[in-house]
Amino acid sequence: RAKKTYKRDKKMSEEQAHANLVVPAFRTEKELKTQTQNGHGTVWRFGGTDKAAKASTVTLRGVIYMLFDNCSKDVKKTVLPLGHGDPSVYPCFRTCIEAEDAVVDVLRSGKCNSYGPGAGILPARRAVADYLNKDLPNKLTPDDIFLTAGCNQGIEILFESLARPNANILLPRPGFPHYDARALYSGLEIRKFDLLPNKEWEIDLEGIEAIADENTVALVVINPNNPCGNVYSHDHLQKVAETARKLGIMVITDEVYDQTIFGDNPFVPMGKFASIVPVLTLGGISKGWVVPGWKIGWMALNDPEGVFESTKVLQSIKQNLDITPDPSTIIQAALPKILEKADKKFFAKKNEILKHNVDLVCDRLKDIPSVVCPKKPESCTYLLTKLELSLLENIKDDIDFCVKLAREENLVFLPGEALGLKNWMRITIGVEAHMLEDALERLKGFCTRHAKKTDTETEPLQALKLSDNNVGI
Amino acid sequence: MGESGGKRWNFGANEVVEQSCSQNVRYFLNLLADNLDGNDGRAVIPLGHGDPSPFPSFRTDPAAVEAVCHALRSAQFNHYSTTSGLPLARKFMFLFNAAYALLVPKGNTLNRLIGLAVAEYLSRDLSYQICPNDVHLTAGCHHAIDVLISTLAVPGANILLPRPTYPMYDSRATFSKLEIRRYDLLPDNGWEVDLDAVEALADDKTVALLLINPCNPCGNVFSRQHLQKIAETASKLGVLVIADEVYMKMAFGEKPFVSMAEFAEIVPVMLLGAISKRWSVPGWRFGWMVTLDPHSFMKDSGLVHSLANVLNMSTDPTTFIQGAIPDILGKTKEDFFSSKLETLRECAETCYEEMKKIPCITCPYKPEGSMFTMVKIEFGHLEDIKDDLEFCCKLAKEESLIILPGRAVGLRNWLRITFAVELELLVDGLSRLNNFAQRHSKKHP
Repeated sequence: RAKKTYKRDKKMSEEQAHANLVVPAFRTEKELKTQTQNGHGTVWRFGGTDKAAKASTVTLRGVIYMLFDNCSKDVKKTVLPLGHGDPSVYPCFRTCIEAEDAVVDVLRSGKCNSYGPGAGILPARRAVADYLNKDLPNKLTPDDIFLTAGCNQGIEILFESLARPNANILLPRPGFPHYDARALYSGLEIRKFDLLPNKEWEIDLEGIEAIADENTVALVVINPNNPCGNVYSHDHLQKVAETARKLGIMVITDEVYDQTIFGDNPFVPMGKFASIVPVLTLGGISKGWVVPGWKIGWMALNDPEGVFESTKVLQSIKQNLDITPDPSTIIQAALPKILEKADKKFFAKKNEILKHNVDLVCDRLKDIPSVVCPKKPESCTYLLTKLELSLLENIKDDIDFCVKLAREENLVFLPGEALGLKNWMRITIGVEAHMLEDALERLKGFCTRHAKKTDTETEPLQALKLSDNNVGI
Repeated sequence: MGESGGKRWNFGANEVVEQSCSQNVRYFLNLLADNLDGNDGRAVIPLGHGDPSPFPSFRTDPAAVEAVCHALRSAQFNHYSTTSGLPLARKFMFLFNAAYALLVPKGNTLNRLIGLAVAEYLSRDLSYQICPNDVHLTAGCHHAIDVLISTLAVPGANILLPRPTYPMYDSRATFSKLEIRRYDLLPDNGWEVDLDAVEALADDKTVALLLINPCNPCGNVFSRQHLQKIAETASKLGVLVIADEVYMKMAFGEKPFVSMAEFAEIVPVMLLGAISKRWSVPGWRFGWMVTLDPHSFMKDSGLVHSLANVLNMSTDPTTFIQGAIPDILGKTKEDFFSSKLETLRECAETCYEEMKKIPCITCPYKPEGSMFTMVKIEFGHLEDIKDDLEFCCKLAKEESLIILPGRAVGLRNWLRITFAVELELLVDGLSRLNNFAQRHSKKHP
């Protein structure tokens, strides 16, 4: 007997794909109906929440989907998705065998299928403390460590723990939109400080002092920096710590890219300045070991003076952890082996590929005057470029550029607007090198086609010739 | 705000969190653990929690373990995933070339595969086929509760929760400022829902009614007729039903398990579940939230869209566990389930029989599902114990036996007993309970 099937129409998928259109930047959702009627006159009382709508508009997913939507099969080229970052799908970035072995061993032992405590199992917390303590003067104990289901969840839990009426939080611009989304969702007011492009993306400390007030609870530092790719110096971080102390706020430092560095500047953990200001470090293995799907991260409280405890933030965090989802116990149990067997060679190999990709892109960009990389990244998996729109015809901003690029070349880069940097563009370099070669070819063709016409006749003709030969499959 | 060493800091606690977690099961278990006597040489017997996975009799299916190992080793599942059930638009399909493994569609493709596996699994004994697009994957049932309650909590709204309850719902509702209104499960009526109370409590701001079936903490299984009445009542009131079926098919008594999904034509149902209980792997953190909404009420109201938005911003199940799901759900043999059920039945039977011998507690209804039973404390039989918390604290101290005080689940002066442990441990535990009861019983003159 055939089963009845409730058909779902495809409309929802299209609606979702367009739901968070970025043009103009981050418009809010349409009014949601809160009541609907069925045929029997029932009024349904449930509905969606505004704050979910608001928060979701600032995520990257909407922008990326919109750009994919502009790609087309008529452009006979494969889509190159270089707007978003997940190197784990490419074989060249595969994680190390030791990490896989660690998890398999735990699975087969059958010993770690249970629930764990809210803060995470002790062996895992101890392992994280040991791992972080290598570079810290004030040593962490396992009690200072809390495990989260990914670094993103760490942000979620932390913001939920800090949220109070009228509280505000200082976030960097350009930034990582998940911070914005979670701050909005928790009801924390967002105030932005700039990372200064002319000063190698240093934090605008004067700007911070200007926007902070007695309701400010924290400032967020991302180091190594996504999206800019710089690594902050010891002195600069010390100044940040001193500024935070003066303002009476904590420093939240996101160090998830601590093993993804390929430049010369050494990584300095913010925890080094814990004697100046309480530091809450967010981290994980997602980027270092290229396993974002494993969903495990941590919060480390660098706080020798016990400020988190006396202000009860520590209590809020622990309580929150008791009522929120946990990372899988299997991975928690495997974490000690994973961290212990951290292999410098594995990280070096991965970082070598990234460095090569950066050099490749910068080299090709030399021939594309309308796209400029003012500072080569030395960490993370992105490259920020500035668009010289004055050299281009009929392209009004970064979003327009990226939409047209997607439409004409099936090439997806992230418009800087999505990160708070209008008329910049972010290129993902955590991909296979040949994809970047292909991408830069197409970018060159696009820019040549859209170049402002000069008086010289020959240039446009040559440009046309170039684009004709530009066939990528 | 806080002072520390004379310095004033601008940050401080979020008081809502404190309120929210103070009634959680973990809170009480920690409290009881603090009461244990370190000098007692006997092993602690844990009959207060709900996790039999460490016990050999409840061990998971080795084939499930291998499925996960296999998925992990393939290196195909280390990436981010999207789990909000968004179907991949048809027109994207052509764009993706195997030569370039692409993150977003890969996540989406995986999601569709898993959604299909879960939909098929859930539809096995159902009179219709659940659509994969209605399946949203979560990191365990807890995550589903987190997201769902958070999404339902619009200003001024209230939710109908049972008493006794599963307190995670209460914690999350308090945290999201969703007003809680409680309806009783009636112990003299096999723990059925007090439908009159439900009707009296609901008003135009009530958004949902929660039903946990098979029931944690009461151990009953709701009948088909009763489920239909609940559905009809909810429909009349304009509220959706949250059907928490994490103990799906774990019914070992006379009554067969019937899913609330059967009544989705009558009332919109949000079906919650996970692999945690049936496979004894709560630590693997894989669950689902299914929107059963044939008349599109949940969709039209904007709820589904909000849910998708919230899911997009929150964590996901581990990708390589997702990768193993088609094998786990599709290939686990019936033998595995039936032997587990048999073990549970034996434990429940033993527990019920042993409890009859203990004078100060009464069990109004023989457990027929889940892993728990609620028993009432007869204080008239006890000398120096005045409430459930005192009972359990003293029990922990004197007998190294952990049982959850009923107040943790909303019923003061009752107890929730877990029988899903190794049988010998259960028998030992209940004999310790008996000793305790004898020791504290009122002396007759």
